[in-house]
Order: sequence, then C-alpha cells, then structure tokens
Amino acid sequence: MTNSDKNQNSKQGQGVNAPEGSKAPPGTPASLLAKKELASFPAPVLDRYENAFEKLSGRLAEETCEQWASEGLEIVRKTVRSWEAAAEFFEASVAVQRQLPSGQFLKWAKTGTSLCADSPSLAVAYFKSSPGAMLRLRPRYIDDWANVCRALYRGTWKSSALSCRLFEATPTLLETISFEEFCHFGEFLEVLSRRSYDQAGDALGAGCDLFPKISGDVDRFINLAQIVAEKSWRETASLFDSATASLIELGPQHRAPLITLARRLAVTGVSDASGVLKDGANTLNRVPTETRDRLLEMTDGVAAVSAPAAPEFLRVVPNVLERVTFEQMAQWQSDGLRAARDNDEAAVSYFKLESARSQEMLDSLSSSIELSRVREIILMYCMALTGRSIDIQAAQGLAEKNIGWFQGELPTTEGTTIYMPSVINRYTTKDENFGFFKVISTHQVGHIEFGSFTFNFVTPSNLFDDLRPRLPGARELEAARTADEEARKKASQQPEVVIFGHETPDNANIPTVAESEPAPEEKKLEFLTDMGRFFDLFHERRLALDAFTVLESSRIDGHVAGLYPGITAMYNVVRSAALESRPDVTDLPAREALVEFMVRVSLGQVDNMLVPSEHKEAARKLRRLIRTVTSEEASVEDGAEAAIRAYSILIDIKNEELDDEDFEQLDPEEDEQSSDSGDDEDVVDPESVIQQFMGQPSPDGESGDDSPDGQDDQTSEGESEEDYSSPQDVDYRGEFKPELSQLLSQMQLMENDEFSESGEMEPITQEQLEEMMKNAPEMELEQTEGDKDGEQQASEMLENLMKELQKRDPENQQFQPGPMQHVDEDGGPLNATEPDTYTYPEWDFRANEYKPDWCMIHEKIMTDGEPNFFRDTLAENASLLAQIKRQFELVIPEMYRKQKRLEDGEEHDLDAVLEAVIDLHAGVSPDERLYWRRNKNERSVAVAFLLDMSASTAEAIDEAKKPSDDWGAPDDPVEYMVWLRSRRSEGMRRTYKRIVDVEKEGITLLVNSLETLGDTYGIFGFSGYGRENVEFYTIKDLDEKFSDIVPRRIDRIAPLHATRMGPAIRHTIAKLAEVDARSRFLFLISDGRPQDRGYSREGVEKEYAVHDTRQALVEARQDGITPFCLTVDKAGHDYMKTMMEDFSYEVLPDISLLPVRLPQLYRNLTT
Amino acid sequence: MATKQEYTERNVQDYFISEEPFYVPTSDEIEIFESAYRQRIPVLLKGPTGTGKTRFVEHMAWRLSEGLTPRNSGENSRNGTSAKLPLITVACHEDLTASDLVGRYLLDADGTRWIDGPLTRAVKYGGICYLDEIVEARKDTTVIIHPLTDHRRTLTIDKLGTVIDAAEGFLLVVSYNPGYQNALKDLKHSTRQRFVALEFDFPDEEHEAQIISHESGCDTDVAEQLARLGLKIRNLKDHGLEEGASTRMLIYAGRLISEGVSQRRACQVSVTWGITDDPQVQRSIDEVVTSIFA
Repeated sequence: MTNSDKNQNSKQGQGVNAPEGSKAPPGTPASLLAKKELASFPAPVLDRYENAFEKLSGRLAEETCEQWASEGLEIVRKTVRSWEAAAEFFEASVAVQRQLPSGQFLKWAKTGTSLCADSPSLAVAYFKSSPGAMLRLRPRYIDDWANVCRALYRGTWKSSALSCRLFEATPTLLETISFEEFCHFGEFLEVLSRRSYDQAGDALGAGCDLFPKISGDVDRFINLAQIVAEKSWRETASLFDSATASLIELGPQHRAPLITLARRLAVTGVSDASGVLKDGANTLNRVPTETRDRLLEMTDGVAAVSAPAAPEFLRVVPNVLERVTFEQMAQWQSDGLRAARDNDEAAVSYFKLESARSQEMLDSLSSSIELSRVREIILMYCMALTGRSIDIQAAQGLAEKNIGWFQGELPTTEGTTIYMPSVINRYTTKDENFGFFKVISTHQVGHIEFGSFTFNFVTPSNLFDDLRPRLPGARELEAARTADEEARKKASQQPEVVIFGHETPDNANIPTVAESEPAPEEKKLEFLTDMGRFFDLFHERRLALDAFTVLESSRIDGHVAGLYPGITAMYNVVRSAALESRPDVTDLPAREALVEFMVRVSLGQVDNMLVPSEHKEAARKLRRLIRTVTSEEASVEDGAEAAIRAYSILIDIKNEELDDEDFEQLDPEEDEQSSDSGDDEDVVDPESVIQQFMGQPSPDGESGDDSPDGQDDQTSEGESEEDYSSPQDVDYRGEFKPELSQLLSQMQLMENDEFSESGEMEPITQEQLEEMMKNAPEMELEQTEGDKDGEQQASEMLENLMKELQKRDPENQQFQPGPMQHVDEDGGPLNATEPDTYTYPEWDFRANEYKPDWCMIHEKIMTDGEPNFFRDTLAENASLLAQIKRQFELVIPEMYRKQKRLEDGEEHDLDAVLEAVIDLHAGVSPDERLYWRRNKNERSVAVAFLLDMSASTAEAIDEAKKPSDDWGAPDDPVEYMVWLRSRRSEGMRRTYKRIVDVEKEGITLLVNSLETLGDTYGIFGFSGYGRENVEFYTIKDLDEKFSDIVPRRIDRIAPLHATRMGPAIRHTIAKLAEVDARSRFLFLISDGRPQDRGYSREGVEKEYAVHDTRQALVEARQDGITPFCLTVDKAGHDYMKTMMEDFSYEVLPDISLLPVRLPQLYRNLTT
Repeated sequence: MATKQEYTERNVQDYFISEEPFYVPTSDEIEIFESAYRQRIPVLLKGPTGTGKTRFVEHMAWRLSEGLTPRNSGENSRNGTSAKLPLITVACHEDLTASDLVGRYLLDADGTRWIDGPLTRAVKYGGICYLDEIVEARKDTTVIIHPLTDHRRTLTIDKLGTVIDAAEGFLLVVSYNPGYQNALKDLKHSTRQRFVALEFDFPDEEHEAQIISHESGCDTDVAEQLARLGLKIRNLKDHGLEEGASTRMLIYAGRLISEGVSQRRACQVSVTWGITDDPQVQRSIDEVVTSIFA
C-alpha cells in the first residue's frame, strides 16, 4: 500500500464522514481522526486499527474504508469500556471483510455498533466470533444472528455472559446445524434463560457437543428441548445428558421417531422426556434392528391410549423380551391397550408389570418358567419325594453365599436346600420347561432321597467287596512315611531326603505330620465328614471326586428310572440334550476321554462310543461299574466302592494327547454281557487295587490337583502327559459337592437323630475347616489357586462357611432379624424367601386391580416383658372385670336353648305330640312340627384382635378433656356404676397415659373374660415401615393356650412405626382362615387412618390407603370373617364412612372408654 | 310324618359277616383283639382314615364267628344260627344323639311305638357294636356307653325305664382319629380309659402293595407304584396336607386302573382331587403322580 493510496482513501471518505465526525473539525477524514483519537486508548486499539487499516485500505474503496474507520470510532466512543469492542472490531475486520461484499461489511460493522450500544461485551463477543461465523453464515442473516444472540441479553451480567457464549459458540454450532436451527436453539435458550441462566449455559455447552453427533435430528431435538424448557425447565439438563448418553448410540433411522415420541409425550406434560430418550434408546439398542420400527410404533400405540404408560412400556420392554418373543410381546402390548382403555392408572400399572392382569398375560404367553412361580409346587414335590423338610432357592443365592459353590446357573443341593436356576427357558413350551425343572429337582432331591450325603465310611456296600477298610488313608500313609523318613534322617543325618520321587516342601501338612510324629500308628485321624475320610484314600483327589460324581449321579439316575417311570420320558429328553452338548471325546487326552466316556455312558449313550483303542478294556470295565451302580440295590457306599475301582483304572491311564485314529468304537454291550453277565466277579481285582493304593505317592498337601511330580514314579516319561482337568458339568446334574454337603447337612441330620451313633458332635473349629478346604477337591477355586486373590477368596469362603455352620447349629438357632431391606415403591413384586415372611397383594383402587405380592409381612413373636402391667390392670379394674365376667357368663347358657316345633329333631315335643294326637282324634290334620332340637348354635367363635401399634399411639391422652359425665355413660345403672368406678380408678393412675396403654388395658380386661367363654382368640399387633417391612407381632396366636407368657407379651405392646393396615388384615385373615370355627371375627383397634411410606399414590394420598384397607376388609367378609373396626380417631368419621361403608364400626368419642366398651362390643358382636 | 318303612327292623342276620374280609395284619393286633374279646374288654382303634380300622373289625367279627362255630360243624354255620357274631356299625356324626343309638319312639296312626337303636340291638343280641369315629358324636352321647364298657355291662334306656344287661357276646369297639388335633374333638379321659387301644397306621410299602393288589385286582407293578405314591404323599402330611393318602384311596385308584382308566387319570381322580382342594398342593401331587406313573 502506498502513501498516495492512503491519501486518496482519506480524501474520498471526507465528504461522507463529515456529519459523523462530531469532535473532529469537519472535513477531517475518519481514518485520520481515528488515528488521533485512538491513541488515547490502550495501545492494542491503535495497533490493531493501523494493522487493519493497512490491510483494508488496499481492498476497500476509500469511501468504504472511511466509513469503516468512522464506525470504529463510533464504537470506541460509545462507552468507557467500548474500546475493547473496538479493538476486536479492528481485529476481526480483516477476516470478515474477505468474506463479505463491502455493503454487507459495513452492515456487519453497524450491527456491531448497535450491539455495543447494548453492551460492549456483547460487541466483543460478536466481533470475536464473526470471522468464524461468517464462514457458515449467509451475509443477509447477520442481523438475525446478532438479534438471536442479543435476545438473551437482559442487561444483567449473567445474561450478557450467556449471550456472549452463544456468540462465541456460533462458529462451532453452525458447522453442524443450519442457521434456522440455530435460531430455534437461540429461542430455546432464551426461554430457558428466563428460568435459569446456568441451565441455559449448560444447555448451550451440551448442545455444542451433542448437535454434531445427531445431525439431521437437531431441529427435532431442539423442538423437544423447547417444550421441556416450557413445561419443566429443570429437566433440560438431564434431557441433554441422556440425549448425549443414548441418542448418539442409536442409529439415525430410529432417532427421529424416538425424539418425536418423546416430544409427543412431553407435550402432554406427564413424562420426563429425558427418561423416555434414555429408556427408549436403551430398549431400542437391545432389540434386533428389524424390530425397532415396530417397537416404536407400538410405543406410539401405547402413547395414543395413555401417555403416562408409554415411558413405562419403553422401559419394561427389555424385561418382557427376556421372557417372551417379540410377537408375544406384541400380544401382551395389545392386551395392555385394552386394559388401558379404562384409565391411565390401569395402563401404567399394566405396563409397569405391576398389575396382576399384566403378569398373568405375560405368563400365559411366555413359555419360560420362573422358579418363583413354581417354587411352591416344586417344594412340595420334593418334600413328597424325600419326606424331609426341604427348601428351594435360586441357585444364585448359593453362589452369593460364597461357601464353595460357584455356579449361579446350575442346579445343586447342599443336603437340605435345592438350588435351582431362577428361570428356565430352554424349550418352546411351558410344559417342557417345567419338565426340565422337574427333572433337575428330581435329580437333586434324589441325592437326598437316595442318601448321597449320608455316606458312612464303615457301612458295607451292597454289591461290592468292601475295599474301603482295607485301604490306607493318604494321611496315614504320609504319617507312616514321615516317620520312616525321620528314622532315616536320624540314621544318616542327611537332610531333605526325597522319597518316592516326591518332595514335601513347607506345606500345610507339616503340622499334621509333626503332631502325628510321636505315635503315627496310633494317631486317630480326625475327619469332619465320612466323605472327607473317603476322599483321603486317594492321591488324585480331583480324579476320585470326578469318578465318584459320575458314578453317584448315575446311581441317582438309576434309582429315579426305577422308581419313577413316569418321569423317564422327560428325563431322556434332558439327557439326550445333555449328550449333545458334550465335548468331542477325540479332542481329549486319554484319561479325560475315559472320564468323558463314563459321563456319556451315564447319560445313556449306547451307540457310537469312541474310546482310545489302547484302553478299550478299561472302558469296558468302567461301563460295567456304571451299570452296577445304576441297579436299584446300589447304595451310596456302592457308589464309593465303584469310585475306588474306577479310580484305580483311570489312574493307570496316562493323560496323553491322542490322535483321532487312536480312537475306536467300543463294541455294544450285549456282546460283552453274554460273555460275563451274571457272574458276581468284581470288575477289577480287589487285591491289585489295594496294592496300587499302597504304592501311591503321598499327597502333597495341595488339593489333589495333578502335579506332574506326583506321578513321576508311575509315569517315567511324563512328557506327553497333559494336566488332568475335570469333565464339563452336566447341566441338569449341576454341581455336586459331596463332602461340603455332608458337612452342612450333618447338623440337620443330627437333629433328626439320624446320626445319633456318632454322638455329640464337637463344634467345628476354624482349623478343621481350613484343613478340609485344603484337602477337599471340590473346594478348589477356579483358576485362582495360589495367587493372592485366590487366598483372599479362600479365607472369605472359610469365614462364610463358618458362619453358615453356626447358623445351622440347632442350638444356635435364634431369630435374627435380617437387615431391613428397602424397596423402592416403584419396584416390582416382592418375594418372601426368609422364614416367617409372607407376601400379600395390595389393592390399587385407581387401577381397580391388585398389585400382586406387593407387601411383605414379617411375622414375629412379641418379646416378653414384665407381667406387672397385666396384674396391675386387673387389680385396678377388679370391679369392672367382675362385671364383664358376669356378662360373659350369661352368654354361655344361650348355647343350650331348645328349639321347638320343628319338623325334624332329636325328640318328640310332648306338648306338640299331645296336640297332634288330639287333632287326629278330632279328625283334624295335625301339625307336623312335632320335634324339638337343641339349638345348634353351639358357641364356636374365633376372633383375632389386631392392634394398631403405630407411632401415633404414643400420643398422650388428654385426661382433662374427658367428656361430660353423661356422655357415653351406659344407661344400665349397674353398668353405669362400673363405668363410673372405672373412670375414677383411671383417674388415679398416672396422668400421662398413652393411647397404646388404653389399648393394652382393653385387651387385658378382655383376655381375662375371654378365658371364661372359651372362644378361640388371638391377639396381634402390627406396624412397619414401607411395603416391604410390615411387622406383624404375635402376642397370642389363635391356637396358643393362654399362659403366663401372654401377659408378658402384652406388656411389650408399644408404639412403633407406621400403619399399613391392608397387609396386616390380610395376614390375619389367613390366620383366621385356618381356624375351624363357625363364626370368625376380626377386631381392628386403631387410632387413626392408615398411612405409611408409599401407601399412597401421588395426589390420591389418603384414599389409596383407605381403599386398600377397605378391600382387605371385603376380602375378610368373602372368607366368612366378620370384621369390626374400633377407632378412637376423633376425626375418624369421614374416612371411616368410606372405609367401613357397610361394615360395622365404632368411633369412640373418648379413648378412655375403650376398656369398658371393648368387652361390650365383643359380647354384642359374637352373640 | 315319619313312616314305618324308614325304621323297619333289619334282622340281625343281616349283620353277619359270611365271607372272610381280607386283612393283612401289620403286627399282633389280631391276637390282642382275640384276647380282649375273650375278656370282654372294649377296644379302641386309633389311626388315620383309611388305615383299615373298619376292615379290621369286620375281619375280627368274622374270625371270632369262625371261632364260635366249630369248623367241622359246617351245617350250623350255614344255617346262620346263634353261633354267629354280628357286627353292627354306627358311623358317628356331630348330630348323633343318644336316642339314635339307644332307640326311640315312633309315631304311627295308633300312637307311639318303640324301636331299638343299633346299640340296643347289639347289646340284646350279643354282637360287636362298632362306633366309627366316636369323637364326632356329641359329648353327651358318649356317656351312655360308659356302663357298657365296665364291669356292669348294662345299657340304661331311660325312655323305657329299663336297664338291659348285655348279652354274652356283646363287645363295644370304637374308633377315632387322633389326627384332628382339635381340643373340641378329643376323646374324654373318662371315656378313653375304658378301652384297650390299638394303634393303626399305614402299612409299609410292601404290605400296602399287597393289599392294593388284592383289593383292586390290579397287577403287582401298578400296586407297587400306588403304594409308592401313597408313601410319597404321606410325606406331605403337615406340609400342606392334613392327612396322608389312605390305603382306601389307593385301592380305588387301583380299581379304576383295573377298569381300564389310564394310570395318571385314575390317580388324579381318586387321590389328587380327593385329598385336597388346594390347587397348588394338587399340582404338586400331580407332579408326583406323573413322576411315578408313565
């Protein structure tokens, strides 16, 4: 640029700028003026100006340039701080000018100037972001852009910051969104910023991140965001969060409909859009792509019927699809739509899977079977088979206990409880799936029925020559050897002698050895279980366990087949399925191949039996062993004997890799049977087995895993030898842990005297357990052995096991309240697993439906207190008591009233007969009603008193506010005296008396009188907190005789928590239903309306509880129980009318009347 | 008006048991009963329903008749004369009154007419009177049997104002099922201590199979399976069932099977549905049935 150019520029600008240059003398070019004036501002302003001027003057017409300069001057002059804006203006001008025609350029500058008039910082942001924004922004939108951003500015610092941020974000935003979308976004921010600038700022930031990732749906999303901002602005943050988290994952094809759906629901204002997005995306991602469109359509369908139900539907779909196919789910959905026609509540509870209809529908559609649904059936089935009290639990529970079982999916048992997978979905029909449950339970219960865990080391077997007593135990061997070694050591003074090619480094067995040192021969080895003693015979414990497992399982299967022919068909189906999933024999090394062969034989495979050619004879023997134990006479001891033989065969087989051609078909069994069937000769020669066991190396103290050094003396060339690993579990047989199970079930068996011969069992010490865990092959931890993790896990397991044993010790059994579990009100049905817990449904009056298994009752026996309260109350109310008693005694003769003039009866009624005879003689037709009968209304009454023990009963009674004397006074003079006296005596008691005390008094007096009547009665208290913790206290059970303990329990009635009446009433109904009585009553004594955490729905708070209680009372009546409600709530009348509509109830005007009124009411009600 | 026909007196011969009732003794109950009879000590049979109490009494009545009638004099026995021992059974129920046992006046056109009750008949004739499920009867009813069960061996009929001495052959046998465990339905001590008590329980699997097979005519395999079913179901007593499956029930199942009804169905109708109304328990029992029967 030359000087002449500059001059030209300034000259040309002169005329135009003249009116604007206010301070400068007229005629001075703006550019020169600027130079002069800008010098008074901080240096960067002038620098930038000069820099920009230099560049621009070359590119712009002089006039334009002057205009530009004067624009700059104007900015600078606006306010004190506007020089900063000017600096940015000059800075940005160069870049902006390149993209804009000069007209637009000046317009741009003017827009900036006007922004600066509002706030210099806006202008700063405007100019700063302009170069970037101009890249994407059409020049004609500049004004709009500035306006959109400016709209956020409301003169406050926060608003200006937000506005600036939007300016600054513009270049980034416009990279991905159109200007139109940008405008919408701005509008959204404007709406939101009215509520909260922070939220708007966050949304702006989140939008910048989000929009590039959901291009194409931005407008849609902004639209949604706008609605959310209007409806519930607080949720915008979570909306952006969940959009960022979930929408991105979702393909563009399903994103749009989902956002539309969310928008539609948001418009109705009933759902949170962020949840819809999150759940929707989550659900959509979990269903196959091709079904996603349908799913969205279905959600739309739900939304059309009931908007609040749609989000629930979206959320629950993955759960539903776990149980049914997509098509079935569609059926479930359309049934839901029908159910939903009634109202939103019904729809919500249907699609939340809370309503019974929904669950039943799903259940009928699904072919899978959940354990929780069939648990009772299976439980009784198992109890029928075994005749023992057995429990059924989900297998996951056992694995979580961490006491030695690891598989959460396989069925198993520890001798008292059968653990099962929580859901079976293997087959296409319910029947088959149930059949599978039945097969696994029959097999597991077979272990109990056929005594797998009652193994006794010394009990003779039925089919074999017993080898067990003749074999030396491994530890005995070890002890003998160590003694030997010691002797040699002493002789030669040579340390570290290696015997049998086997080293014993400092391992855990040393202490044992040291102990047994003095007299190794006499040392009586202690085993926790007979099973442990048995496995101690083997060096390769894992192999022994595997052999025993197969043989024992075969034995069980054999017994089942013999005794339960009906189940054979399903059993075979399961077995052949199990066979199909077995590994290929030819892939296994020799020893494992033979074990696998055993498994296959035990599963009933007959043809196509591949075995290593070398070991055909061994295979044949193993097969015969399995056949032997499947006979009906076989006992667990036979299984053990067979295991010894199988072990002796297997241990001789090197576990070497074999080629496919090394395998051969084993000839079918018939051929072999013809040759040696019928003879009782042992499969293997017992003597050689004994020899073999004598020669086996001592165990190395580790849990019997194959350590190559352990076999060195047997297999000199061990190079081709593979480490032995156990066969794959057979799914229906599950994990079999004989030693552990025997240990755990011993406690229970002892109780049943089945183990009486072993006498008192010493408490098991931690050391003993540790020892067992080291030795028992089944306690091996998978793949973690040796390292730190494994050790830690082992010690944890030890601890758990110890606890488990203590729990099982019958002497230790006490009621230990479990940890309070808190269940979300939105959660699903509860499952009563612990003893003395029961679940009950709850009535949702809005949905007009029960929520199944919604509340859990924890039944507890009230703890004992002091008998004083009872005694004192009786003493203080002696006269009232006598009165009540007299009243009650009058009831008794009423039972013996004669009914006369009956057509049939016990005897002739003499008067009637005389009349009849007279009539006959007179020729009149006689009255046929000639008989009398004793009134059949024998008193047969059962009554349950249900006391409210809610916290509100702690309220003190205002003694001063007693009603006036005539109020509530009985008319009968005698009663009146009593009433008066009782009131006086009450007055003498301590002044501070609580409602609950009066309840107690009433009960005390009544109990005493009830004993005269001989009615069956029970006293219960209830309270609780939340639907999962409804506490139900038994003070006196219905079938319990009155004893000293009852008064003690009455003493402990005290105010506790909340009042959830429904479940307590239902539980009482269940109790009354078991009583055989002609008339049954439920006496509810409460101090107010039912209430509890979550015992309500939003907005319908009070009615919900009242309706549920009412429903419970209706149920009582359906069961032939007469409910009666006595309340002391002064404000009780209004809700009592709803709750007790057509039931009897009484609202006491004064709580202190309760002890008098209660017996009266009782008498009136029951006679 | 009560009519004559309802109360026509049956000949005591109708109560004779002429064919040997099938009974498999589980212990020495036959010998005990014979001794008790010789000493005329009343007998109390305890045990759950369907364990063969009634059958046992029938068997004993027959057996004792055989004893009374020397076997060689076959003609006598065929004539059914006095040597036979009749068995009169009364099923007690909660409305059973004393007059139901002793007798009552009936009304006819000419006035009243007395008719003996079953107990009176047995006392007069000298047979075994068997009161089945005695606890079901009203308490006052049981008192009238007291004089019959001790050394007096008399029956007072206060309506007639007479006292009857029991005939030589008379013996009172009562049965009751202690399983109900209901205080109301317990036998009074003054009553129960007048009897020697024989306890009945379900026979073991082997014996039961034998009984089922004999009674129902089904083959031994089925009988064994039925016996096994019985055993399994009895395991559920107090775990959902109030009573175990009776042998009688199993026999019914066996009979239906002999009739050609499928095994599972026969068990369902005669055992499962008979034993309980609880659908869940029914389902469980059904599962046991389907496990045992193909």
